[in-house]
Amino acid sequence: MYYSWNFAVPLFIAAVVAGFFGALLGVGGGVFIVPVMVLMFHLPMKVAVAASLVSVIATSNAGGSSYVDQHITNLRLGMFLEIATTIGALSGSILALYLKDWLMLAIFAVMLGFMGYVSFATRNLDDQRIARGEFALACPDRLSAYLGLRGVYHDEALGRQVDYVVTGTTAGTSIALLAGVASGLLGVGGGVLKVSAMNQYMNVPMKVSVGTSKLMIGVTAAVGSILFFLAGLIHFYVVAPIALGTTLGAEMGTRIMNRLHSAALKWLFAALITYLAYGMMAKALTLRFHIHLPMPM
Amino acid sequence: MRLQEEKTALSKDGKAEAKIYHGVYDVLMAGMLASSALYAVGMVLALIHPHTIELTRDYILRNYKINIMLEGLAHFRPGALFFLATVLLILTPVTRVLISIYAFYTERNMRYVVVTGIVFLVIVVTVVLGRMGLQ
Repeated sequence: MYYSWNFAVPLFIAAVVAGFFGALLGVGGGVFIVPVMVLMFHLPMKVAVAASLVSVIATSNAGGSSYVDQHITNLRLGMFLEIATTIGALSGSILALYLKDWLMLAIFAVMLGFMGYVSFATRNLDDQRIARGEFALACPDRLSAYLGLRGVYHDEALGRQVDYVVTGTTAGTSIALLAGVASGLLGVGGGVLKVSAMNQYMNVPMKVSVGTSKLMIGVTAAVGSILFFLAGLIHFYVVAPIALGTTLGAEMGTRIMNRLHSAALKWLFAALITYLAYGMMAKALTLRFHIHLPMPM
Repeated sequence: MRLQEEKTALSKDGKAEAKIYHGVYDVLMAGMLASSALYAVGMVLALIHPHTIELTRDYILRNYKINIMLEGLAHFRPGALFFLATVLLILTPVTRVLISIYAFYTERNMRYVVVTGIVFLVIVVTVVLGRMGLQ
């Protein structure tokens, strides 16, 4: 491959767009950049996954720091769940070393479908839950009480302090483990899974779930990246435009996210996810069975 | 009286935790800025002097070695700058974990020293497995 403007600049621009839509739709850049690298730039799946995972650290640093700054992130909860996500990431990335490319593509397509379903099916009912005091009145389970996982944050939109008690640590930890596997295996952050685990099963308000998830994504992706790094799968020339581009795109996406209508975004998300899932599955079939479905890109 | 004690304990806890928040924030920002700057400089250099690189694992294993990288850094070679940026980026969350362990230790919050210590242990296991040469 000749590393010139013809290759690096389109890759960089694609990463900016992927980071932008990732932030806009609240799923992170990895979900879009891996299919883009594989389908548009014809990079090997493992090289794409490894490069994406490094860029996930970059966007997590950028996005996570503002939540930490505003003390919305629950550091204790994050550090507790990181045990599960890092163990998951280690297992996922070991699996990635041994799985065939076509199988990784197929799993990626399934994950896209699942993510589309989760983010389409979950509704943000936080305002009602806060008004009813649901977050503050829950009873903590033993582990949550032992580790003092309760928290409080200042909600600017509501103009009040929101107290919450963390419950459901078993269910939450199990889903966090799964999110870690997805991260290490597929080069994504796994934020959608973590956020829904905390918000739906652990009685954590949405904003805290998002901030805490972003913090956890950094160290989770670092574990996968270290393994890929030592296994010789990280190509720095590919990583550079991807990491720089997604970080920049994510910054821009976060800035305009709040000004957009969320119903329109949901449909855009569903369309994009379906399109990419089809593309990844089509490529998997081509690699494994030499079946050539019409390719979208 | 008991309530007062609890409140004092909480506010002390809050102050200590604020310090940890501050440290975490600083590390995340520094890591992001340093690596982005290195990537950007390296990209400009690489594009000024286009050259052929292979997209194979063989190329990675042959070229991305510590002594080649150190020499490359001395000559401002893009590959070496990307290498350093990537290492810094990966180390950012690892440093964040280490700082948290230290901060919890100074607070004598041993439960969280253990929790964060386990996360660090997983990182160490990852390095060991990676060094052992999986695959």
